[in-house]
Amino acid sequence: MEREYKFIGKRLPRKDSEPKVTGQLKYTNDLEYPGMLIGRIVRSPYAFADIKRIDVSEAVRMGAIVITPDDVPQKPFNPRLVSIDEVTYKDTYVLTYKPRYLGEPVAAVAAPSEELAQRAAEAIKIEFERIYKPILDPFEAMKPDAPKIHEKIMKGDKWIEVENNIAARLDYDEGDVEKGFSEADLIIERSFKTGKRYHMQLEPKAVLCVPEPGGKLTIYTTTQSIHNTRILISQIFGIPESRINVVKVPIGGSFGSSIQTNYLVPIAVALCLKARKPVKIAYTREEDMLDHSNFVFYFNIKIGVKKDGTFTAAEFTNILDVGAHQVQPYPLLGTSLGWFVSMYKWRNIRYRGIAVYTNKVPGCALRGYGAPEVQWAVETMVDEIAEKLGIDPIELRLKNYVGKGDIFWGQGPTVKSVIKSDGVPELLLKGKELIGWDRRGHPSEKKGRYRRGIGVARGFHTSSAGGPISGEVIDYTGCILKLNEDGTLDYITALQDHGGGSLDAHVKIIAETLGVPPDLINLATATTENSLYDVCTHASRGTYAGGECARRAAEILKQKIFETAIRMLGRVVNPEALKIGYDERLKEAVVYVEGTDIKIPLREIARTAWQKNWGTLAAVVTYRATSAPPSFTVYFVEVEVDTWTGKVRPIKVVAGADVGTPINPDMVEGQLHGGFAMAWGMAFSEDTKYDPSTGEIMGRMLITDYKIATAEDVLSPEEFIVILANTYEPAGPFGAKGLGEAAMNPATGAILNALYNAIGVRFYELPVTPDKIIRALRERGETPW
Amino acid sequence: MKVQFSLNGKPVEVDVDPREPLLNTLRFRLKVKSVKRGCERGECGSCTVLLDGKPVLSCMILTPQVEGREVITVEGLEQDALFKALVDAFIECGAIQCGFCTPGILLVAWAEIKQKRLKSREDIVEYLGNLCRCTGYVKIVEAIYKVASGVKSWRESTSS
Repeated sequence: MEREYKFIGKRLPRKDSEPKVTGQLKYTNDLEYPGMLIGRIVRSPYAFADIKRIDVSEAVRMGAIVITPDDVPQKPFNPRLVSIDEVTYKDTYVLTYKPRYLGEPVAAVAAPSEELAQRAAEAIKIEFERIYKPILDPFEAMKPDAPKIHEKIMKGDKWIEVENNIAARLDYDEGDVEKGFSEADLIIERSFKTGKRYHMQLEPKAVLCVPEPGGKLTIYTTTQSIHNTRILISQIFGIPESRINVVKVPIGGSFGSSIQTNYLVPIAVALCLKARKPVKIAYTREEDMLDHSNFVFYFNIKIGVKKDGTFTAAEFTNILDVGAHQVQPYPLLGTSLGWFVSMYKWRNIRYRGIAVYTNKVPGCALRGYGAPEVQWAVETMVDEIAEKLGIDPIELRLKNYVGKGDIFWGQGPTVKSVIKSDGVPELLLKGKELIGWDRRGHPSEKKGRYRRGIGVARGFHTSSAGGPISGEVIDYTGCILKLNEDGTLDYITALQDHGGGSLDAHVKIIAETLGVPPDLINLATATTENSLYDVCTHASRGTYAGGECARRAAEILKQKIFETAIRMLGRVVNPEALKIGYDERLKEAVVYVEGTDIKIPLREIARTAWQKNWGTLAAVVTYRATSAPPSFTVYFVEVEVDTWTGKVRPIKVVAGADVGTPINPDMVEGQLHGGFAMAWGMAFSEDTKYDPSTGEIMGRMLITDYKIATAEDVLSPEEFIVILANTYEPAGPFGAKGLGEAAMNPATGAILNALYNAIGVRFYELPVTPDKIIRALRERGETPW
Repeated sequence: MKVQFSLNGKPVEVDVDPREPLLNTLRFRLKVKSVKRGCERGECGSCTVLLDGKPVLSCMILTPQVEGREVITVEGLEQDALFKALVDAFIECGAIQCGFCTPGILLVAWAEIKQKRLKSREDIVEYLGNLCRCTGYVKIVEAIYKVASGVKSWRESTSS
């Protein structure tokens, strides 16, 4: 359905471009405050140890403010508050005598300069009671004789015992799996393992905590949720929420790493409370890598299928290595299952999900919350099944995928909705043409040093965690939109723009709804004091859920403007006859009646309402999406493998996205480009490896050893083709859905299916580094080495 | 020790510890916040500045090393025509996402275009060592290529 829009779907420069290119935009670490102290964190040099004593005397003598576990509340918390409390497991302390990963904060200092703070931190002596051998393998951790990483933790408000180092479990059964497998003509079973990826957002986490008169605190930090940060700090320190104001600060990328409140925030608060002075902490890159990385996924998947390509059953075992503390891995057990069941109609399902503690950096969400991993595994197996059955891989996918009219699990078993928009067939068939699918050939036909292959994979991500019934995952937002006295508008939302441009989408949505140019709309600085609660900018919900909230606010404000205009006009006018537009002659936005010379500037409407006390021209809206529609994505990838070096390079990409109505085509492309680059890293290089004896991340946390895609892996726009499905999502603002995560999710699967098509080898363990490729080829006697 | 240098065309004098990296001098003493602290180990490129016209990593340079030399950050190029063209191209191409790497990348692009080193996309890829995690580099390379190859920006072509 073609619709005519003024701003939606148009390529307009984003509002924050100018301050970003000129470097004027202030990120958290750019903020300074008079009298500010710099905080540094003292970290455990051991991965699994009990501390006997922390000697701070030397640091205190140096004049530093020092805190140890004795200075902070010893009540466990979970830094991520996206699920309801009843299913939130709490095992983390601001500072601890029982460090469970190398780098866990045990003490902290604050001093007037970074150097003084660092020297004071180094002067703190830690005496250890016991040092254990780190447990780095979840299967070792689950053995009955394995030392306990945690004895007791809290679930909601109850203490529970931890058994076999199992952090959380989730099982699910549907239909009769045994019967399903007995009906299958082919059963295949595979095991997969992923790397422990690090977000590598360019901005290391930072916080500035400022004490205010009357015992209030103002907190500036790198967060995806200012409101959850406030709630957490309130819970940990017992300070009323009304005395904590968290300010939204521009963020230099996040990718899920600040859904939780990063560990440095409560530490800075504790230092600030003790010092009664502003305290800033900014991680070094090493510390940032010790703060957050992804989970490690171990999958075992068994699929039954009939000769005609109909699936009959699927069994999915998901062992999650969660690291030393829970950053809500329980909902990840649910979403992993959700992504799995929403890929294809398996008909009979058995799922066993176990989240296991190890002595590693706590795992947290990383763009896709399990979907890139699940979709890589499933799409690898679907490719194998297609080959074994002699069915075209695209046909097999079209036959079985979960699409329009089916149930989609937006965020695990408690967040379900019916799919209303579905561009999968369109994207698969168009992409097939554009990549030149028919020229792909069979791996056995490919010879020589350089071999090319083409692969496909499809997937999706949810847009928000909304649903008709309130589930275990919170999805709630709110916004304020007001008309100013000069005809401009202030828009206040707690949602964050991580860089993808979601708030620019909101501006366009408001502009389109009202009929005013985007330039008139100010994206106001939001704080927890002046904004409504929003759960978090995650789950690709910024444009979809936040954008719909903005649209509703604009709709309400528009009606209020019209009511005021009718009163001012003093003539009977049907509100439907009124329109808002920009008057080129008056150089301002006006309310007008089409075909007449009646027009009133918005400025006059605002001022009249104010002067005559006709009520505020503002809208305050809270919103929970009633569905979580999938944004489908399809990747076709062509790669070239150098069989002598094991290096792989991209040759051509067709990225297909069903985002409903694209609000910002530029930014849709940007998400796909960035998503592909991240998937490339996931496929070939990204992993934080741990030294088995010390539990330290190998490579001293250097980025040089944590290789992300660089400009070298880039494709020109001619080689990176973006196609958008012609769909319209009825629940989204102007038919839009989210994209941030869908942009990446299936890409790794497509890349590795292309690798298979080039060399005839499938890899089940990520990342597929050059040595693994060389080794596989050598085993076939195919390399010169 | 006292160090004098030119910052964005203006003479400055700072009294620093000889071991202080230029990055810290710029950010903490001179309040130049466009120079971002991304790794402090010469890996990410976010702290790039121009030293006598050449892109360098300010976290890898000690402040005394810039004695008597010329340091330029994006603040110093606001009125420069080539810089403006780059900014326009970045905005027009949608090459900006979170913006953290942007000032550093702009400086590399500006310096290398000035030196006429960027003739093809391959050249850009070779000279652009800066890391970006958002954009996948596609639109960044495109924006730089546009300027390097003399394609007029939207602002230029509408104003002429």
